[in-house]
Amino acid sequence: MTAAPPDATSTAPEAAPAPRRRRGRPPSWGAIVTVAVLGVFAFGPVYWVAVTAFTPTADVFRFPPRLFPERLTVENFSTLWDNPVLLRYLANSLIVSTLTALLTVVVSAYTAYSFAKFRYRGRRSLMYLVLASQMFPQALLLITLYLVFSQVGLLNSYLALILSFTTFTLPLCIWMLKGFFDTIPDELIEAAKVDGAGQGAIIHRILLPVSLPGLVATGLFAFIRGWNDFIFALTLAGPEKQTLPPGLVNTFLGEVETAWPALMAASLVVSLPVVIGFAVLQRYLVAGLTAGAVKG
Amino acid sequence: MTTPTAPARRGLSDGAFGLLLTLPALALFGAVVLYPLIGALTTSVFAQSLVVPGRTFVGLDNFRAVLDGEFWSIMRNTIVYTIGSTVAPVVVGFALALALNSRIRGRSVLRGLFLFPWVIPGVVVSFVWLWIFNANYGLLNGILVGLGVVDDPITWLGDPGTAMAAIIIAKTWASFPWIMVMLLAGLQTIPATLTEAASLDGAGPVARFRHVTLPHLRGILGIVVLLEVIWNLQHFDMIYVLTGGGPAGSTTTFAVAVYDTAFKGFDLGKASALGALWLVLIMALVVVYVRISERGEQA
Repeated sequence: MTAAPPDATSTAPEAAPAPRRRRGRPPSWGAIVTVAVLGVFAFGPVYWVAVTAFTPTADVFRFPPRLFPERLTVENFSTLWDNPVLLRYLANSLIVSTLTALLTVVVSAYTAYSFAKFRYRGRRSLMYLVLASQMFPQALLLITLYLVFSQVGLLNSYLALILSFTTFTLPLCIWMLKGFFDTIPDELIEAAKVDGAGQGAIIHRILLPVSLPGLVATGLFAFIRGWNDFIFALTLAGPEKQTLPPGLVNTFLGEVETAWPALMAASLVVSLPVVIGFAVLQRYLVAGLTAGAVKG
Repeated sequence: MTTPTAPARRGLSDGAFGLLLTLPALALFGAVVLYPLIGALTTSVFAQSLVVPGRTFVGLDNFRAVLDGEFWSIMRNTIVYTIGSTVAPVVVGFALALALNSRIRGRSVLRGLFLFPWVIPGVVVSFVWLWIFNANYGLLNGILVGLGVVDDPITWLGDPGTAMAAIIIAKTWASFPWIMVMLLAGLQTIPATLTEAASLDGAGPVARFRHVTLPHLRGILGIVVLLEVIWNLQHFDMIYVLTGGGPAGSTTTFAVAVYDTAFKGFDLGKASALGALWLVLIMALVVVYVRISERGEQA
């Protein structure tokens, strides 16, 4: 380790204006090697997917594989676009994930507001109950859920998927939004009450507008969860209503030898909306993820 | 009704209105979690098929059939998978968080990029690793054969000896990023003065890690490990797509077994009995975990 300069304490005030940039000790060799090795582990597969997706099908089936492709093509993407079944899965995914996001935002906003700004008996128990619902395995719940949806004629419907996705997205979204609402000063709500605003007006004209970033982040998170879900869409929806994840499994796997370039192209296409959405709102998601944990 | 505390025109007291706001969420939890949970636990004492209506009470026959069958190998696979898929991502995520906590160039950009594997769908993660682990044309075999580490390609996902390890590697790839983010956030709350003071007292990197960093992160680590254990105990997507529980049942966990028994074997009674035992395992581990971490906090 480098010896601390004698005027170590006097450097602190100078660094104060930009504390984020200058924080931490200079990277050691260990840190650089760790980042490099894990970088290969994290991004090597991504590179390989991209290379395969742009490689002509004929060039893929040989051993050993080529790390750097000789020829590039976009034909793997155009074959996806020409496949009406895949387009239907895509449309289903968009519809179901968007509606899941909307429903989740509405339901979790009311619940999170209640948890953040109201005091009543059983509130803490309810909060823990919401979290505890994550412990119950989905494959077990699906046994009865399948029968129930079948009895009420909702099997193979968007609604069955939306209700299931929303329920399992709620716990984290409620906690994310509660963290957000906790930061809104009580005085704002009290002032509105003094002005004679009813509860509905407080929620819809004051709370929700100032929480817009949190609501967007929550909606995006719910969209991603819906977009990524596999087991519910696999079980509760048939081919007409199935979303992309089970749709792709049914389309590409289980044949003699998988059409890898087309599947890798499809993988990129499926990941794209999630990655873009995530990049746009990364800051909020990271803040939401870590807020509860760092405080507690 | 209690007397309102604020002078406003409201029909409901604060508490009752607060409770009312939670009703939509509670209705969803009741319909999609609680009712199905009770339903499945009830079904475990009936003989019931997915495709034939009606059911008959059979007592504990389903449990007997399950315990006489593959139960213990399913149990073993679930525990091996859960431990592997929790420990490996925590180690990798922790190492990366420590590395990124130094004054490294482009730290926030790197943090964002490293999150990439975590956001993409689990099914896509499975496709990626199916292709990498592919026995005939896969990248991993290509590299290992090229380097002369192995002579012949290995069927990673088709061999009972390697399939579980391969799944754990793929799962590690998908889950280390969020652990890194959580731990990095925790690391950044450690006051720089604390580490500096430890350095001045002559503490080396290892001592600083043990006496400053680790105690400070215990709370976050506890949450991360608990969530990873709960999620891994019920993980389905990647195991189902990568191996489907094979080869020869060597990667069949509770999630895959319950799904297959119910929706491929149509035996809802047996699937529910298996699921009830699975739930007991989850509950038991969570209770033990919470007890241990409470004792740790008191110490």
